[in-house]
Amino acid sequence: MDRRNFIRKSIGASIAFGAYTAGGSFDHLFAESPAAIDLVAIKGGEPDVMFDKGIEALGGMKAFVKKGNSVVVKPNIGWDVLPERGGNTNPKLISRIIKHCYEAGAKEVYVVDHTCDEWKRCYTNSGIEKAAKDAGAKVVPGGSESYYHEVTIPQGKSLKTSKEHEVILNADVFINVPILKNHSGTSLTLGMKNLMGNVWDRGYWHRNDLHQCIADFATFRKPHLNVIDAYYVMKANGPRGVSIDDVVTMKAQLISTDIVAADAAAAKLFGTKPEEIQHIQIAADMKVGRMDLDKLNIKRIIV
Amino acid sequence: MIGFKLRYLKKIRVVLSLLFFIPISILFLDPRNGIPAAVSNFFTALQLIPSLTKLFVFFGWMTLGLAVVVFLTLLFGRVYCSTLCPLGTFQDIVIRIRKKIHKRKRHIFVKPAYAIHYGIFALSAVLAFLGSMTLLNLLEPFSNYGRMVTSLVEPLVTIFNNISAGFIGRFNWYFLYKVPLRGVDLNTILYPLFFLLLIGYLAYSHGRLFCNLLCPAGALLGLLSRLSLYNIIVDTENCNHCGACERVCKSNCIQSDNQKIEFAACVGCFNCISACPTGGVSYARSRAPMTRRSADKFTASRRKFFSELITPAIGTVFYPLAATDSTTTATSGYEASRNIPISPPGSQGINRYSSLCTACHLCVSVCPSQVLYPSFLHYGIAGIFQPMMNYTASYCNYECTVCSQICPTGAILPVSIEEKKLVQIGKATFFKDDCIVVAKKKDCAACSEHCPTKAVHMVPYEGKLNIPELNNDICVGCGGCEHACPTTPRKAIYVTANQVHAQAKKPPTKKQEDGFDSSKDFPF
Repeated sequence: MDRRNFIRKSIGASIAFGAYTAGGSFDHLFAESPAAIDLVAIKGGEPDVMFDKGIEALGGMKAFVKKGNSVVVKPNIGWDVLPERGGNTNPKLISRIIKHCYEAGAKEVYVVDHTCDEWKRCYTNSGIEKAAKDAGAKVVPGGSESYYHEVTIPQGKSLKTSKEHEVILNADVFINVPILKNHSGTSLTLGMKNLMGNVWDRGYWHRNDLHQCIADFATFRKPHLNVIDAYYVMKANGPRGVSIDDVVTMKAQLISTDIVAADAAAAKLFGTKPEEIQHIQIAADMKVGRMDLDKLNIKRIIV
Repeated sequence: MIGFKLRYLKKIRVVLSLLFFIPISILFLDPRNGIPAAVSNFFTALQLIPSLTKLFVFFGWMTLGLAVVVFLTLLFGRVYCSTLCPLGTFQDIVIRIRKKIHKRKRHIFVKPAYAIHYGIFALSAVLAFLGSMTLLNLLEPFSNYGRMVTSLVEPLVTIFNNISAGFIGRFNWYFLYKVPLRGVDLNTILYPLFFLLLIGYLAYSHGRLFCNLLCPAGALLGLLSRLSLYNIIVDTENCNHCGACERVCKSNCIQSDNQKIEFAACVGCFNCISACPTGGVSYARSRAPMTRRSADKFTASRRKFFSELITPAIGTVFYPLAATDSTTTATSGYEASRNIPISPPGSQGINRYSSLCTACHLCVSVCPSQVLYPSFLHYGIAGIFQPMMNYTASYCNYECTVCSQICPTGAILPVSIEEKKLVQIGKATFFKDDCIVVAKKKDCAACSEHCPTKAVHMVPYEGKLNIPELNNDICVGCGGCEHACPTTPRKAIYVTANQVHAQAKKPPTKKQEDGFDSSKDFPF
């Protein structure tokens, strides 16, 4: 190696080093400390097993839930369909998340969603009500407007106010657990889209630039943790699905504190470019989170 | 000696009446809608007019419930009116309250107005045969009781439930939950309110006058009771003309002076037997009922009644729906579509449904989605108050058949989930200019999102936008699209009724390729 080459290489290395450290913590170079991981992607296992591995990589649920906290786990329970139809979040996953919360010292765990179909039938037939109750959580009804209270969204462009469910407003920790699926209105439904189940009047969002409203709400409600269920994935006819033929078994899961990063990764998993999902692009532009996956520290786990 | 044992009859009657009154009331009230269809059907099967309606639905196959009621009446007289009929028990409760307030008020014999009563019954029956349920719906006891409970009491229960749920919610308990209050429509609430006042007043001041003047079930049972094996009769040897029986007779059908009982007007409450100090009122087999002689007299008056009333009545009360058919095709659009009601899956079509439904509103009360709603004159006068689909309030859940399982009259026939998914009760209509995608150039797709068959699906429009497109072959008319459509005040997509329900095609399905290989790396 001649001198010129040496200098060139060392400068290159320093720039790379500098860039790397500037982007995040110094720890990245040596060991994967949980705090440095932007996103965990897991595949190949059952939903509960994948979550065990994924949350472990992030330092366990203790990193998010402190002793005595009240926690809301927010699945997608939008439709009156059975779990294998991929219309709602996998009940096994919900059950396991609740267990981790209690092990971390949570005082109370609540499960809630503002469903599309009649809420009682959705809660029952999705299997989530039973799974959540068996795991010790309180299943909270969401079918009446009086549970929802007005919040202001200071950074919102199209959505300035909305009414959000009281149990979410009162919680210490909010865990967003959407299911990845095709969606006729927003191409895909993912983490940010799932937050439409936090609020009462979705019609307003549909009337007033749906994608902008989704991004607006994400500036206000930032989940402490996002777990995207991609075990059963509805590839067509979403979000409700017409038959079991719409669903593939993908056996994957994504966990991140960054809702935009989780959504961007989920879009890729689905086979769509994240920038083609308008609300992901808008949210990234509004600095809700990052969609530049190649610059993120992603922990990949194969079960 | 027999008289002593017969004193228990009244107590048995009271217990039995409550055993039916309370559960039937709960059927209409239950805010959780948790009562199994079989339980609901057990109680409603024993309701005379709904069961009689089923006789025509099943082409003359008598239902078990109807057979039981007829059999009981042929044996014991109109005991139905004091046990199985919830409106009868309701009147008894009013009468009991009156007794506490006006202790001295007594019943006095009043000659039953058989001509009017049977005339009303005959008119109701003829109209029903011709397809108009107007009179039956206005007078039928079970349905009127159901409507009073659904329209007037259920909202109070819901409010009480919601206040309680809100209170315990403060402690983060959610075992009680709030239920959306069904919208109150003045048109549909006025009649139950009027009926409540009417029945309350009649019961308070005239006892069971309704049952012997207006009630079609009472008339039919009265006719049957003329043949009944057991009759309440005055035992002339034991009777000392004290008049105790007459004073307690809610039907005002005992003439103690003459020792006569108008048994066709007797509702079988057995108060007289309990009140008689000498065992002078008996309940015994009778080959020649006391009223037989008088029975012949009003055959003539009944005939007269027919000729005078029925002919003009058919013209005015019977309001053929066919008249509305022509207007359907003549006008179109969202507003016009509101004029034709949509009947629930299982009812097979508007005319069939409208000619059988007694508007008891049990389906309104149990519909989990609260999409079934009382109509006013949407089905014409012939179908007054019959429930219809209200897609502003909600939409019909694709996986639900609850109304079809509990309908007491057979107006909504039982359908399986698989059958129901192919019943087309209406068709979606898309009015492009009002759509958010066209009007605001923004994505929406709320309609397509809710569509369970993807009859409403999205196709590329300008730029990156997608716009709804319809495939009405697979549309079931559930109203998901209309309900979800966020445009105001009129919807850009809405359902237009099918006069006769059609068969929808099965939605096409395509098996998705499992394009994921777990051995490969992640796509990011």
